[in-house]
Amino acid sequence: MKKLVFARRLSQVFFLSLFTYMLWVTPHAALFFKIDPLISIFNLFSLIMLGATLIIGRFFCGWVCPLGTIIDACGIKAKNRDTGFLRKVKYYVLGVIVIFAFLGIQIAWIFDPLVITARFISLNFIPSFTLTLDKAFIFLIKSLNFYAPLYDFYRMLKLSVLGTKIFYFPHSFITVSFFVIICGLALITKRFWCRILCPLGAIYALTARFCLLRRHVDKCMHCMTCSINCRMSAIKEDSSYRKEECILCMDCVYDCPDLATKFSWTRKNTGRQTEGSISRKDFLFLIASSFLLVGFKNVGDGRDRPLLIRPPGVLHKREFLNKCVRCGNCMRICPTNGLQPAIFESGFSGIWAPHLVPEIGYCEYNCNSCGNVCPTAAIPKLSMADKKKQILGTAIIDKNICIAWLENKECIVCEEHCPVPQKAIKSNDEFFNGKRVPKPYVDISLCVGCGICQNKCPTRPARAIRVIP
Amino acid sequence: MNKESIFESLPKRKITRKGFVKLCGIGAGALAMSNGLLKFAFGREEASSGRTVKKIKGLHDLVAVNGVDPYAMTVMAIEALGGMDKFVKKNSVVLIKPNIGWDRSPEQAGNTNPYVVAALVDMCFKAGAKRVNIFDNTCNESKRCYENSGIEKIAKGKGANVYFVDDWNVVKAKFSYKSPMEGWPIYRDALECDTFINAPVLKHHGLTGLTISMKNLMGICSGNRGLIHFDIGTKLAHLTDFIKPDLNVIDAYRVLTRNGPTGGNLADVFDMKTIIAGTDPVLCDAYAAKLMDKDPLSISGVSQGVKYNIGSADIAKADILTITA
Repeated sequence: MKKLVFARRLSQVFFLSLFTYMLWVTPHAALFFKIDPLISIFNLFSLIMLGATLIIGRFFCGWVCPLGTIIDACGIKAKNRDTGFLRKVKYYVLGVIVIFAFLGIQIAWIFDPLVITARFISLNFIPSFTLTLDKAFIFLIKSLNFYAPLYDFYRMLKLSVLGTKIFYFPHSFITVSFFVIICGLALITKRFWCRILCPLGAIYALTARFCLLRRHVDKCMHCMTCSINCRMSAIKEDSSYRKEECILCMDCVYDCPDLATKFSWTRKNTGRQTEGSISRKDFLFLIASSFLLVGFKNVGDGRDRPLLIRPPGVLHKREFLNKCVRCGNCMRICPTNGLQPAIFESGFSGIWAPHLVPEIGYCEYNCNSCGNVCPTAAIPKLSMADKKKQILGTAIIDKNICIAWLENKECIVCEEHCPVPQKAIKSNDEFFNGKRVPKPYVDISLCVGCGICQNKCPTRPARAIRVIP
Repeated sequence: MNKESIFESLPKRKITRKGFVKLCGIGAGALAMSNGLLKFAFGREEASSGRTVKKIKGLHDLVAVNGVDPYAMTVMAIEALGGMDKFVKKNSVVLIKPNIGWDRSPEQAGNTNPYVVAALVDMCFKAGAKRVNIFDNTCNESKRCYENSGIEKIAKGKGANVYFVDDWNVVKAKFSYKSPMEGWPIYRDALECDTFINAPVLKHHGLTGLTISMKNLMGICSGNRGLIHFDIGTKLAHLTDFIKPDLNVIDAYRVLTRNGPTGGNLADVFDMKTIIAGTDPVLCDAYAAKLMDKDPLSISGVSQGVKYNIGSADIAKADILTITA
């Protein structure tokens, strides 16, 4: 009975489930990002994590990381290869992120494993899962006429698992491809991403070099089983190991035919355990790699592209794109599904940052959820009274499309839905053939740009009223 | 023992002409079949020509109750009409359609007063109803509307089924006469009920002047509802004729006098402290318009309702009972 391996697997499944649960049901998923030193290094929780790593090593990668769990599952049948010097790449990735951070540009969102997992779960997994479940129920209920009890159960599910709305992200194909590629790399060799690319792993590796828990082998027969099987290729041929690469998966303890491998706190010497990872040449190469900065030239400028409606409280804030880690929490929580990931609309630096698409969903007037779930306060946490004052943009009416202005029809759906108590959309009555036709206009001093007018405007394909940020 | 993975075996496979044609054939067949399957699974459409009428008459044409307690006033109004037993038969399914359209609190008077709904649910169950359904197609996000209006909590507590609408569970409206509402998707549960109780709130509306019981029926419509606003009077009249609500209970306890139908400003709310109940939606609307000092025929739904002979707006001729609690 491989007790330690069993415990590790249990822990992995537990944390992956917890992560998914927190994203799915609760608004507290931001907590998970508080223990992520790559995102919030000056946070008490991430310092605790680093402290714990100093004592026992890279336990996070092997026992907690949800992406690591998924990668382990993908690589279960994969061959194990020695990736050699490639393991250095992750330090370059981390180095570039750190250099950019000092220059005031945040690019941790590209490679942070928690962010990648959260984005996948929020933008791909939950929408597709709920859609499938919903369609299955519709099929059972509508086509096979299972009405009474099943329909009530379905309605109950809508309050919990399904949600009142099946979320839809038109560009989610890109996030799912990114995720699939990262997990698919595990088919080349086990834990490819964790060995070679993960910058969070690099932080933990740098910390774990000094950890106190060590691997010892007594009377090694040099059968090489542990070395061949090691998923991080951390064990060298002479049965010593690279301490910073070990994620404490505990496989080698049970792989050893003599059960000679142990993890303990003793300082018995078992050969040189770490080797220098970054030479002077490497460092110069790292600095040179900052030429990547060219693509990010406009990143500091929050007025990235004029036509994106940002979430409440971030309009024209310069630091928005730098603070946003693209975890997708706000898009997951937005009750109307209106917050969507941008693709290239605001340049390379704005990929996957949230923006409001009023055609899909508007900003609910009485709602401040997105600010509450943001782990980095890129969307500020606002009280309800403050949120109502936040201006996302201004609505404008296109009189060449509006059926009230163009065809003298009764409509003013925009005025009807305007949530501002004084009504930011007002109307003037005009009379045609004895019929009262109200013509809408926007009171710019009152409009908050929530976009409900654009969402509800009945004209198709283009809406007659649009929000311009 | 080591089986070749698909990455290794696939490039080695040879493609023959016959195999290629076969593959294309299988693909096309699967495509055609899946299309048929999808149509079978999700594409079924049904049409309905509306609810069958029972034309229950109350003891009076209309009852208006003034007072302070909306729950007691509602009970009193229904009792004066002849009691809920008149409208709800034993083991029947009742639909109460309140206005839950907006993410507003009860004080802001954007939605029907929850106590009016609670009183109706209680009376329905007392009259022997098997099941009481409550839903509305909301304008704001539905979960927030249901919660903040207070209706979900209080009605669920009383044992009613409060649920969200499903846009796939609709039937197409069919009319025996020419109607602009022809083919409009209507939620099935609105038609498959034994008693339809319409429980709107009286408030200001930019287009129709007031939104009362006929306008409240828009909440059982699916689809792009903004289009109903063009020629709204006729459409509401036909919709009312299609549904034929058995009972209309208008909540005029708190009334939004300006900036409706959303409101949000407590200064716009006026405490009218009245509950109106009646069987004729047009008459109820006319009486409610009179309460708001408006000419009933200036409300497009009422004038068109009279034109299409759906009800009467003649308040002077109607048998109206006014009670002060």
